[in-house]
Amino acid sequence: MPEYKGMVQPQRATPDDMRKIHIEPVPDELKPEKAIEFLDQIRKKFRSFVMAMESCTKCGQCAENCHTYLGTRDPNNIPTNRAELIRKIYKRYFTLEGRWFGKLVGAEDISLDIIEQWYSYFYQCSQCRRCAHVCPFGIDTCEVTFIGRQLLHWLGITPKLHASVGAAMERVGNHTNLPKPGIVDTLEFMSEEIMDEFGVEVEFPVDKPDSDIMYIPSSADFLLNPYTLMGAGMYFTYIGANWTIPSTVTEAGNFGLLFDQYWTQRGNVMRLLNAAQELGIKKIVWGECGHGWRAAKMYIPSLADRPIRWPITHIHDEVADMIRKNELKLDPSKNYKPVTLHDPCNYVRACGLNDNMRVLMRASVSDFREMTPHGMDNFCCGGGSAILFDDPEMYQRRILLSKKKAEQVRATGVGKDGDGILCAPCSICKAQLYPMVEEHELGVEVKGLIDLVGKALVWK
Amino acid sequence: MKLLIGQILPYITVTLFTLGILYRLGRWAGARIVHNITLSPWLQTNGQVAVRIGSEAFLFRNLFRFDKALWAGALLMHFALLNIIGGHIVGFGTLGEEFAMIPGLGITPELSVEMSDLLGSVFGILLFVALLYLLYRRFALENVKLVTKPSDNLWLIYLLVLVGIGNIMRFVPAYHIHYELVYEYMAALILFQPVVHMELLESGFFLAHYLLVQILLIALPFSKLMHLFGMFAERYIVNRVYHDPAPGLPNIDVAAARKAGLGVPAGDAAEEGV
Repeated sequence: MPEYKGMVQPQRATPDDMRKIHIEPVPDELKPEKAIEFLDQIRKKFRSFVMAMESCTKCGQCAENCHTYLGTRDPNNIPTNRAELIRKIYKRYFTLEGRWFGKLVGAEDISLDIIEQWYSYFYQCSQCRRCAHVCPFGIDTCEVTFIGRQLLHWLGITPKLHASVGAAMERVGNHTNLPKPGIVDTLEFMSEEIMDEFGVEVEFPVDKPDSDIMYIPSSADFLLNPYTLMGAGMYFTYIGANWTIPSTVTEAGNFGLLFDQYWTQRGNVMRLLNAAQELGIKKIVWGECGHGWRAAKMYIPSLADRPIRWPITHIHDEVADMIRKNELKLDPSKNYKPVTLHDPCNYVRACGLNDNMRVLMRASVSDFREMTPHGMDNFCCGGGSAILFDDPEMYQRRILLSKKKAEQVRATGVGKDGDGILCAPCSICKAQLYPMVEEHELGVEVKGLIDLVGKALVWK
Repeated sequence: MKLLIGQILPYITVTLFTLGILYRLGRWAGARIVHNITLSPWLQTNGQVAVRIGSEAFLFRNLFRFDKALWAGALLMHFALLNIIGGHIVGFGTLGEEFAMIPGLGITPELSVEMSDLLGSVFGILLFVALLYLLYRRFALENVKLVTKPSDNLWLIYLLVLVGIGNIMRFVPAYHIHYELVYEYMAALILFQPVVHMELLESGFFLAHYLLVQILLIALPFSKLMHLFGMFAERYIVNRVYHDPAPGLPNIDVAAARKAGLGVPAGDAAEEGV
């Protein structure tokens, strides 16, 4: 079902898929009534949502600042209008003005069509928070689509992609269904690759008891972004770390943040804490993953059901700290191609990684060019919140959603000679940009940031 | 009419306005800030938070950064409105002699009244013009038109009528209202004395203006106008202090690791020789 009454929609999980992630789909005829019931529960809990529902003045500033609207020019993709899809229902059922004045203030009755509208538009939002960043009030549409997706999930409407990732995570501890033997094999292969390419001996310890550091890589790094994992391995070897990768959590991402902030997200958090306890580690270091790092850094404190005994930092923070202290010898001329940096939204607007990424970049590459705008003003790659759908209609939409990013990359000129590098240190950004740099013919190769650090290390 | 608008409604207005605002603030406070969703780069001290929220609330920082025209229109409108509300309270409260009360300036009461009149006139016009601009952009700019609901336009038209009547009373000598009349009326109202016989309530323009203000105040807690308070509640969610945990990995000695040649294959020297 890629389309509903002219609206694009991602392919949805079957009822069986939903049961695997513990949801019993609500029958269609009950959906509207249940939606109101769930909305009523949730609105009483989240102030961020209540404020987004109740303080927008419709000034319209968010419109030109949303890459989704810029790419699609669909009025429902203007952040405040996207929020309005749920606000009109909120007003109708939970506010005096909506009950008394109805259409005049934009209130509307719930219906199945509106729920389908939610499914279409809440999964076109990248949850990049650029609207929150530019809004005069700071209204965060991301909070609205989080809750919209939560309601849809409880109703039994979740994209197949997200549901299968949720199920895989629960079964094996990563998004790609990679079992432990596969993990160990892949890592051994990477050790060989590192030897061949960089002439360095690197071992990737898995489940090593009494390690000091537990490194959580993105599972995409085993398959799609091997140089990111190889870079991390080289870094840990270089500094002589007693580190390990836990086979039960080979996943930096947490899709719970993106479709189910209750069970799915919390389950992943507890899984991580269990792994840390079993391995007797001292510190958790996170790999390159935008939403996953936000979920870890900002949500573990409020989701964990037990006291958290381990500090959690991002590998970029640690590398930056060592660069500042002059502990790493890096040779920028090893990365001589022109490089531009795509700031992952979750890093710069939710996790404060802005400066540290640039510390790594300046130390590791010789020709670094900033995009305009960059840092916290950056635009999303168009794949944010894992809207990386492959069905033909949605794929076309992904091209539109990355239009703004393509313009930005082109303007830096890094791909002019076809040998540029677009550094995108986030698995979702990478997954979105690998095909998109081809679609937009940008003349750049997509890489992670630790990839570049690993390559620039001077070993002797 | 005089009885209703001048004597009865004001008490109802004050009650509904106060209770309404308490209800709405309570409604917001009832929901929690569940997760930390502050926007980074983070503010490091409460002083920085005060400056950020202050500059957003009083100078419209984000509008200035991303849309200069809206910034100019919105700031003008709100600044003029703030002055007019302040002017109503202070001007009527002191019979226009507020500037004479500032010690050391040597301003005579007569001059103060003239200054009050002038300021009222200027801000009355500015507010009207700024409201017109905000209404204009709701029709003229495609993006704004797309997000506008009928009530957004109606509120602007409502305010234009309200301010328009105020301006008529200020600029048309025949309908001018003297400070003293309002002062006496308000004093009587506060003391719960009968006011129906008062000269002030003979003015049709005044009654209309006064009625519109009261309806506005009654509706305010239940409408988008609550963004006055919403501003601070929302900003408090996204702009708060956050300190990054300190970096630093356990049991790491990079110098020793490099000296030991970790990662460098044992036969590396030979390899280079080949």
